[in-house]
Amino acid sequence: MSQSETPVIELKNVNKHFGDLHVLQDVSLSVKKGEVVVIIGPSGSGKSTLCRTINRLETIDSGEILIEGEPVPQEGRKLAELRSRIGMVFQSFNLFAHMSILDNLTLAPVDVLKIPRKEAREEAMKLLERVGVADQAKKVPAQLSGGQQQRAAIARALAMHPKAMLFDEPTSALDPEMIGEVLSVMTELASEGMTMLIVTHEMNFARQVADRVIFMDGGKIIEENTPDAFFEHPASERAQNFLKTIRDH
Amino acid sequence: MSIQALLTEYGDKYLQALLTTWRLTVISFAAAFLIGIVITVLRVCPIRPLRMFGDFYVQIFRNIPGAALLILLVYALPYLQIIFPYDACVLIATILIPSAFCSEHLMSGMNTISPGQIEAARALGLTFFQMIRRIIIPQALRSTVLPMTNLLVATMLTTSLASQVPMRPRDLTGLVSYINTRAAGGVAAFVISAALYCATALVIGAVGSLIDRKVRILR
Ligand SMILES: Nc1ncnc2c1ncn2[C@@H]1O[C@H](COP(=O)(O)OP(=O)(O)O)[C@@H](O)[C@H]1O
Ligand SMILES: [Mg+2]
Repeated sequence: MSQSETPVIELKNVNKHFGDLHVLQDVSLSVKKGEVVVIIGPSGSGKSTLCRTINRLETIDSGEILIEGEPVPQEGRKLAELRSRIGMVFQSFNLFAHMSILDNLTLAPVDVLKIPRKEAREEAMKLLERVGVADQAKKVPAQLSGGQQQRAAIARALAMHPKAMLFDEPTSALDPEMIGEVLSVMTELASEGMTMLIVTHEMNFARQVADRVIFMDGGKIIEENTPDAFFEHPASERAQNFLKTIRDH
Repeated sequence: MSIQALLTEYGDKYLQALLTTWRLTVISFAAAFLIGIVITVLRVCPIRPLRMFGDFYVQIFRNIPGAALLILLVYALPYLQIIFPYDACVLIATILIPSAFCSEHLMSGMNTISPGQIEAARALGLTFFQMIRRIIIPQALRSTVLPMTNLLVATMLTTSLASQVPMRPRDLTGLVSYINTRAAGGVAAFVISAALYCATALVIGAVGSLIDRKVRILR
């Protein structure tokens, strides 16, 4: 297989239990370079867990996870190094509360990637500019709106030059009027060719940016299709019912 | 004797005792603080035996009376051929006990950190020690200034254990005993020492509030 065909993220028959609960059941999926894959599905279906296994914030019971063809290291420096190259954006932003936005962006580049502080600051300011919160650089997270915090969190992930970005419901904690500003940053990222795996219920956004939609329920991938095909003609009854419930909202 | 008479006769002794109390307090608190941080790191580290050791340490020194520990150090250890000078015995007691409380405060300070921040730190590739140093300890410290201020005052009061051993120079409480064995200092001798303890505590409290207001984390 040539380099360009090796998926950036690949899961093969991944299984994961929380006690008796079988949260990931034989999950296989792959995300190619530059691809945008949206995961959709009811709450509790295992979407977050799936995301978190990719950089091993959660361990798996069986199966394989490969990043650019390499198995995810079990622990230690190798694992930290892998994590540093996969961006992750959370529902609750998770900016470091005691640091300015700028310091949030430079912490990991300086400490983990050993980039000189001055260089890291310059790059961080450019990123903040790009997501539209450069004027907030000196403030601490609690002084920003949710939408601004989430855009800063995206910039923090980008500062590590990630090979791929994982988004776990990045707009679910936001007031409706702030969802758009975050989605537009993500749309721009997608158009620049970032490899992205996104858990979201924003259907219009998914149709616009996704190359593929994966529908999960009960720890399984139920169907996988292009966004148009999935949203117009969901094959499974479970997907049909799920889409009906979110459209009725 | 009146307070005035006591101050005339023992003024320089009171000053010396105050400085001794301050010295014991500063040394004890600084060491307790560092040990408290180390113990706390052990209590949250990924290695189970170290976590258990940290918890055990805190349980022991949080629940043992200072006087009992001092008696152990001064009178029991010599039977094992372990002999510390008196001031070292006092310092060991006034370091170990506050260090356990320091760790307890830091643990509660850590509970103010949202688990999401820890996840974010791991996701960025920070190692355990980077996370401890850059995220956890700074936030734990900044959210526990007031309890730490109280601990500093408590440490100062614990240094009065020095009065129970023949240590020179005497601390504030030791001086009260001394004066009362020589002259009829009575309550007045005690009142002067108490006023000096209180004044120090008030200053510590005021500085603590100032620092707290400056470093408190907006959430
Ligand atoms: N740390 C955990 N311990 C036990 N059960 C968990 C844990 N995290 C998630 N779960 C359970 O696993 C299932 C899948 O959760 P999650 O991946 O968060 O789903 P989703 O993101 O699709 O809502 C849920 O039933 C949830 O309660
Ligand atoms: Mg979730």
